[in-house]
Amino acid sequence: MSIQIRYFAAAAEAAGRDEEHLEIAAGATLSTLKAVLIERYGTLMQRVVESGSFLIDGVVRRDPAHAVGARVDVLPPFAGG
Amino acid sequence: MNDQTPASFAIISDAAIDEGAIRRAVESPASGAVVVFSGVVRNHDGGNEVWSLEYQAHPEAEALLAQCCAEVAAETGLPIAAAHRVGLLQIGDIALSAAVSAAHRREAFEACEVLVERIKQTVPIWKRQQLAGGATEWVGL
Repeated sequence: MSIQIRYFAAAAEAAGRDEEHLEIAAGATLSTLKAVLIERYGTLMQRVVESGSFLIDGVVRRDPAHAVGARVDVLPPFAGG
Repeated sequence: MNDQTPASFAIISDAAIDEGAIRRAVESPASGAVVVFSGVVRNHDGGNEVWSLEYQAHPEAEALLAQCCAEVAAETGLPIAAAHRVGLLQIGDIALSAAVSAAHRREAFEACEVLVERIKQTVPIWKRQQLAGGATEWVGL
């Protein structure tokens, strides 16, 4: 299936872009997506997805078994305050 | 105690934070204690000299900050307000203002600590430090 991915902050730096469409296996989980992104973008992206989270349908998700939605935001670890 | 959740207020902006407005958002005639926390850009981190900080927020960060404030207001029964600034901030600038009022100081201090910790854990905001010499690094990564 085709998913739309948006990258923020360090994730955008690691990907060299703010968004893109990716083809990913139907029924893929966040664990699958992490592996795809690490293979695609290397060590900085690995640090991002291993310590960060994903926003799907307005909710922050960290569970690797959670299903990937049609739109996923890649969020590095939060550093507000 | 109260059967109604008190008001909460949240904003994210690239303009300088008006701490007086954040304070006034939680004040009431029943307030015996008002705690206003200021998170300020400091000139060092992990032994390195910091020149400036750039904050970025997710487009939904303000909604998530509002949710965070509403949750703490519901849990504590106290009025809550918070403002976070984004963009390029200099040393001494206020990045986060978080305010709570209560009848007595202990509950106000405790609720403010809970609020600030919750904001740092749940609101998608990022910061990049510019270190002395020009190198930059994402904080927390």
